[in-house]
Amino acid sequence: MISVRGLKKHYRVHKRAPGLRAAVKSLFKREYTTVPAVDGIDFEIKPGERVGFLGPNGAGKTTTLKVLSGLLYPSEGEVRVDGHLPQKREVAFLSKIMLVMGQKQQLLWDLPPADTFELNRAIYDVPRDEMKKRLGNLVELLAIGDVIQKPTRQLSLGERMKCELAAALVHGPKVLFLDEPTIGLDVSMQVVMREFIRTYNEQFGATLILTSHYMDDVAALCPRVIVIDKGRLSYDGGLAELVQRVRPEKRVAFRLSAAVPLAQLEALGKVVRHDAAEAVLQVPMDQVNTVVGKALASLPVKDLTVENPPLEEVMSELFSRSRADAAGKGRAA
Amino acid sequence: MTRTLRALPTLLKIGIAEAIAYRAEMLVWVLSTTMPFVMWVMWSAVAQVSPVVGQSGRAYGSAAFSAYFLCTFMVRQIVASWASWEMNFEVRQGTLAMRLLRPIHPVISYAMGHLAALPLRFAVATPVAVALVLTAAAELPHDPRIWALWVPCMVGAWLVAFFSNIAVGTLCFFMESSLKVMEVWLACLMVFSGYLIPLDLFPPALRVVAELLPFRYQIGLPVEVMTGRYAFAEAARLVAIQWAWAAGLIVLSFALWRTGVKRFQAYGG
Amino acid sequence: MGRYLTLLTLQLRTSALLAAQYRWDFLIDGCISLVWAATAIAPLLIVYAGRSSQAIPGWSMNEALVVTGWFILLQAILDGAINPGLAAVVDHIRKGTLDFVLLKPADAQFLVSTSRFQLWRIVSVGTGVAVFAVAFHRLGRWPSLLGVAQALLLLCVATMVLYSMWILIVSTAFYVVKVDNLTYMFSSIFDAARWPSSVFRGLLKLVFTFVIPLALMTTYPAEALLGRLEPVTLLYALLASAGFATASRTVWLLSLRRYSSAGG
Repeated sequence: MISVRGLKKHYRVHKRAPGLRAAVKSLFKREYTTVPAVDGIDFEIKPGERVGFLGPNGAGKTTTLKVLSGLLYPSEGEVRVDGHLPQKREVAFLSKIMLVMGQKQQLLWDLPPADTFELNRAIYDVPRDEMKKRLGNLVELLAIGDVIQKPTRQLSLGERMKCELAAALVHGPKVLFLDEPTIGLDVSMQVVMREFIRTYNEQFGATLILTSHYMDDVAALCPRVIVIDKGRLSYDGGLAELVQRVRPEKRVAFRLSAAVPLAQLEALGKVVRHDAAEAVLQVPMDQVNTVVGKALASLPVKDLTVENPPLEEVMSELFSRSRADAAGKGRAA
Repeated sequence: MTRTLRALPTLLKIGIAEAIAYRAEMLVWVLSTTMPFVMWVMWSAVAQVSPVVGQSGRAYGSAAFSAYFLCTFMVRQIVASWASWEMNFEVRQGTLAMRLLRPIHPVISYAMGHLAALPLRFAVATPVAVALVLTAAAELPHDPRIWALWVPCMVGAWLVAFFSNIAVGTLCFFMESSLKVMEVWLACLMVFSGYLIPLDLFPPALRVVAELLPFRYQIGLPVEVMTGRYAFAEAARLVAIQWAWAAGLIVLSFALWRTGVKRFQAYGG
Repeated sequence: MGRYLTLLTLQLRTSALLAAQYRWDFLIDGCISLVWAATAIAPLLIVYAGRSSQAIPGWSMNEALVVTGWFILLQAILDGAINPGLAAVVDHIRKGTLDFVLLKPADAQFLVSTSRFQLWRIVSVGTGVAVFAVAFHRLGRWPSLLGVAQALLLLCVATMVLYSMWILIVSTAFYVVKVDNLTYMFSSIFDAARWPSSVFRGLLKLVFTFVIPLALMTTYPAEALLGRLEPVTLLYALLASAGFATASRTVWLLSLRRYSSAGG
């Protein structure tokens, strides 16, 4: 469905030091630097897959999405989406895809969302009866029946985002790019959006690429993740494997019936948290069994769970590690 | 193409709904078109001392100036274009992406937005038209062929106005903002279109320049046709030139748009 | 007081930095200024072409040119110093970021009024002065010292009135959110100041003398330079500007109170 080979996207930006003198100098002479936003990435995505893009701010996720949706021209490499070259922006291509940006909206601000839906129906040339069916389905799934007749400016952020998604889907795109779709939403609304996106993918078999700052979005939606860091692809595969690779450790949490001295816990593994009723240990994968055995034998354990470390932590460790690498290389050079 | 045509009525309908939602703003915009009235007051004051004689030998008294500037106001209302501001704004805010994602040419969607504003603008122009007929009917031409020609002349004027705006607007793909260029364009429009001064009153050298430029085809020509400055044959010749300008600007706009969007894809976003 | 001077310098410096960022604006603003000056002068040339008499009652061509010079000068002040800052207020109100300004420990009106300047508009000041020079050169005499002093005083008065009217308009932004095009409406009314006020008769004359005192902005200063301003007029101008300044400050404070009590 989507194939990306050797994609590079470089920007030329005007470089200027702060201060009045530099500003005056730049009146006469400008210096430019080339910033590689995306610096050579390859991947393939099969129809119906749900893929999450992960990476710190400025890693090149949004740039990649914009190249895939035809808004940006690749500097190098080849991108194909369902057989099309996105940058040519053919009508057939544009009718198959949609890009939803959590930060930007397409809904007409002073008119009800229903008008935007109608506008999109005309633009995408969706037959009326098909539109009625599709919109009915969307309205039901998103529970927006009573808001689509109100002017957009009167809607809450959550309602607006739901309508934004509905407007993006009235033409039934086969490929859906979602750039931070849940940004600014509260937790329960995030869950609703997530559920909806998953349902859409399952019902219509649409291919889906998602970037999000909320790891939970990615964990809940995307079996496969692609990690982009400083414009390069640093991981492509299952989420579980990624976690294991970054943090090959598990967390063992004990509920205790009596307080245990810290030293006794430290003998078993690294202590993450510890108080009278509870203790959490971080233990290498292959030692989980032995540690659990020892703990059950020596500690007043009421209950015990083994879990992965929180995803947010894994990511921040992954990114800080890659920054440290870069800094190390910088010094060596 | 047929698909775009099918979408047009809906685009127009939604556009009108939007125009109605913004009626208060639009009214303020319309009311800020005071320049024709300011010029009217001044020229009337001048004409009261003695009539002003144009290059064509025609003497302009107070009534002639009334007719001229009332027509100017109406034409200005109907052929107004703001596409270049819209484009610059959308490029800066990044919302142009939303237009680019749609499988319909953005220039078409801008045009629909403009056409959707026309009903309200006609509504504003109507009382002025009534005032014109009541106060200066003697200054208007009586040849029905002239009025038949006036319709394509207004369409041509709208095309020139809209596509010159698009052409200047697309320059924002090549520079950070093309608003300044638009301002220069606008200033030239004021002088050379007959908006401030009837072209007939220009000194000969300046008039030659004005007649070579596109600006007069946007405001001056329809006004002159309405105020009966030309016989039918001459008016028809000028409308033909006007349509040639319109065609040229359309070709230029689409060419600039195509290369501009490539550049936008290369740098912006 | 000293603190406000420092603040003003800082804000000017920021505007200078911005102006340097957009370097082509210098050239382009220069061109724009010249073309706009041409739009102001061209009708005069044509009105007076071939007539030695006074086409506009009481004004010869060169005298009318002095009025045009003032028009160009004041428009430069309006576009360069008054308009940008106050357009920023409208922006703030719409986006709800005015709170950040109100949180700062300095007078809010001062902060917003000085927040932005379009420095390249200085080119138009040059154009205005050049128009004066041409007009007086053709008149064959130069303004008297007293005339210049009166004119400078009137320049301050006119700026004060312009600024006050702007504050009045912007204060309405607290009541009606979309006021940005109201400011355009005022700009377009200001267009009427390009002619000596004697072209206006009847009701318009009253409006442009007392309600929107356009005469005070261009005609009176021109009369001062030409050495024919009556002292009474000067007194009227001073009173008018004091009145406008007080009114606008009062309305601003009232609107601000309304804004804060509305709770965003």
